[in-house]
Amino acid sequence: MNILSMLWSNLRRGVITFRYPARPAVSEGYRGLVCFNPELCTGCAICRFRCTARAITFSSAKNEFTWSYDPGQCTFCGRCVEGCKAHALSQARACPPVYLHIGDLKRVYALNRKPPAARSSAASPIAAGVQSAAPPDGDSH
Amino acid sequence: MNLTTALARMLIFPGLLFAVPAAWFFLWVERKAVALMQQRIGPPFMQPFFDFIKLLGKTTPMRSGAGGLLMRAWPLIAVSAAAGAVGLLPVLPSSGGFEGDLILLLALMEVPSICVIAAGFSSRSIFAEIGSAREAVLTVSYNIVFLLAIVSIAAAQHTFRLESLAQLPATPLRWLGVLAVLVCLPAKLHINPFSLPNAEQEIYSGPMIEYAGPELALWELSHGLEWVAATGLVATLSVPHLKDPWLNALVFIACSCAIVLLLSVLAAATARLAVDTTARFYWQCTLLFAVLAISSTLLMRLRT
Repeated sequence: MNILSMLWSNLRRGVITFRYPARPAVSEGYRGLVCFNPELCTGCAICRFRCTARAITFSSAKNEFTWSYDPGQCTFCGRCVEGCKAHALSQARACPPVYLHIGDLKRVYALNRKPPAARSSAASPIAAGVQSAAPPDGDSH
Repeated sequence: MNLTTALARMLIFPGLLFAVPAAWFFLWVERKAVALMQQRIGPPFMQPFFDFIKLLGKTTPMRSGAGGLLMRAWPLIAVSAAAGAVGLLPVLPSSGGFEGDLILLLALMEVPSICVIAAGFSSRSIFAEIGSAREAVLTVSYNIVFLLAIVSIAAAQHTFRLESLAQLPATPLRWLGVLAVLVCLPAKLHINPFSLPNAEQEIYSGPMIEYAGPELALWELSHGLEWVAATGLVATLSVPHLKDPWLNALVFIACSCAIVLLLSVLAAATARLAVDTTARFYWQCTLLFAVLAISSTLLMRLRT
């Protein structure tokens, strides 16, 4: 009879499904979308090496590099954030937003590589461009 | 019953015109009630109708030969038989002529189960064959109890005429029989804990796995009509016949809905049983119940 009382209490409490656009509250250590701070990034690419889901791609040239992140491939494991020595990466404490087309949430940053002096003094941004859903030209792993 | 009344009963109430929307409504009530008891939103009111229309618009895969022909025929036979069973329910009074009796009603109610078994084996899918075998075991298990209960009700009232059965006052023995029929309904309607033949997670809906488009729509409709016929039978046997035919129809509908809700609670509260447990339940526990009902009836008849 325990199950009947459980069903009755379920009926009294009402539905717990969230109707769009309402989102559930997240817990303390919730790992959401990876946020990128281009001002702090040194272009070491350790995040790309730590990303087993290949959500982060990185391509570099002599004076510039391109960092991109595709949440559609991300498993939100947080290993990239843990490995980022410059603290350029963090994870949002919110559910990922709803998107309608593949690649809508993809972010690509084309940055100029900082000179060593600027890198050590934790860096003013040189150039940061944000283009959504634009894949990088090449991926030189 | 003249021809006009007979046609009105078969085609309007409680026949096709009532039965088809009622089938969709009962399917919705069952799904919605289970969803609410599990704190889900559940489907919108028109969902079974939308599903039906959507499936009608899809194309059916081409099947050649006798197997293909049979696969097309089974859902049609099942829908016709289930609709016929609903049309026989004595909700409105008839005036002489063909009334239909309990044996015909039971035969028509069994046809969809037989069609499901045959459809599974016709489709030659391993999952469908497993589903059909389960359905066959289930049918053999619950039908002994179901038929004994019906026979005990008819024997207690000295008639197999549906009309007469509906009009006679209920006796304690009849209530015992109705209770036994009620125990068989979850197995007859394939709901938990006896949802073995159409287990989605284990055998991908069993006999229905190879069906798509309009044929699947007909299967869904046949399932809904089975709901209407089975709950209607219990409603007819358990609710006293009233003088006012419209009030009688309203009570019939309300009682059918109450039975659907009761079965939904059972479906939400239980998990699926294994085949051997199901067979044991009907052969060991419920059979005693039905034998008690029929032996009491026979003893009563001998005494009188």
